[in-house]
Amino acid sequence: MADSVADATAALTDDGCVPLAGGTWIMRASIRGEAQSRRYVGIGRIPELNTIDVKDGEIRLGACVTHARLVESFAGLAQWNGLAAAAGAAANPAVREMATVGGNLSTQDFFAADLPPALLSLDAAVELVRPGGTERLSVGRYLDVRRTLEPGALMTSIVLPRRPMRTGHARLPLRKAGDYPVAIVSMAAVLSSDGRVDVIRIAVGSVEPAAGRWTELEEKLLGRPLDPDTAHEMAEATADTFTGRDSVEAPGWYRVKVLPALVRRATQAVLSSR
Amino acid sequence: MPTSLMINGERRTSNRDPMTPLIDVLRDEFLLTGAKSVCREGVCGACTVHLDGRLAVSCLVPIGTVEGKDVRTVESLAMAGELSPLQQVMEQHDVVQCGMCFPGILMTLTSFFQAQPNAGRDEIKAALVGNICRCTGYERLVDAAVTLTKRS
Repeated sequence: MADSVADATAALTDDGCVPLAGGTWIMRASIRGEAQSRRYVGIGRIPELNTIDVKDGEIRLGACVTHARLVESFAGLAQWNGLAAAAGAAANPAVREMATVGGNLSTQDFFAADLPPALLSLDAAVELVRPGGTERLSVGRYLDVRRTLEPGALMTSIVLPRRPMRTGHARLPLRKAGDYPVAIVSMAAVLSSDGRVDVIRIAVGSVEPAAGRWTELEEKLLGRPLDPDTAHEMAEATADTFTGRDSVEAPGWYRVKVLPALVRRATQAVLSSR
Repeated sequence: MPTSLMINGERRTSNRDPMTPLIDVLRDEFLLTGAKSVCREGVCGACTVHLDGRLAVSCLVPIGTVEGKDVRTVESLAMAGELSPLQQVMEQHDVVQCGMCFPGILMTLTSFFQAQPNAGRDEIKAALVGNICRCTGYERLVDAAVTLTKRS
């Protein structure tokens, strides 16, 4: 167990050493027949990785802040409706107490994670301590490079820009709750006084192996009045940009097929988040 | 490296490998067999305990991460020999069937009612999504839990 970021990064310079935060993914590796690392460094006790720091222009989440703490901190705040919905619906109550925001972004084989699309829609960034110094990457960029980070790198925080946006998160599990969603749509928008879209960011999770932006749909919605029917129609016209992943829970075509319905729900959530 | 922790108010030390799941230490080393080891991947909830007052599935907690922490298992609910109010309503409603899921359900609901003592039926069900009962005794246990909220 590391007591400081310096302790953790020193241990991580040993190639093959992996950071262990909430443990909810790593501890299942043996039962799922997945590769296990020979060495782990526990980072859950490092104080700065457990703080939530609210500043004027941004909010800094320590990488080990849990889903449950996100809900406690952000529920009921209209601007963060999407993030609270994502953190509050994932997995089950006990896992939400353990699983961390940094772990959720870093478990590269967890395709159905809720926080990556939510954080993409919020234009969040990730702060990494690397051997050469501290670096800030967009969440999208982090998702691209997370498999190839050099030994010694550690994500320390997630930075949320504070903007006057309205946000929503729509997910479709096959049961009412408790299982993995087959598809996720997160949306954040800034609307003008007449309800037109000034800025919009839409992200999709669980459909493809990594969460990603839906820029074709964002472009179509820009400048139009935001309403659920229009958003649904535009989503149907652009959903073929996704290639759904097949799995035992759902075939790939189904994940794509439900996207327009989730766009409608996410739009409704955005419009009601005041 | 030994791990020292508080379990149900008693100081305990385990010498198991730091990546050993807490559930195995509780059951095999300290003979606290209330928490059950079932799915071992955080889905079924049968191994649920309280860690520093918060819910945790003990199958996913490496013992090496709990140094100095406070663990409460289902055995702590009736430490003074008297069943907790939650345990009493469950007994009155004859809820327990095979008993495999039940310690986890008690721990989940004990924690949930501390936060939301006046919760309704739907909220109670939502709190239990991580506790699977293969006897499918859900309705009767939710009925019992609802009477507890009405009583308080």
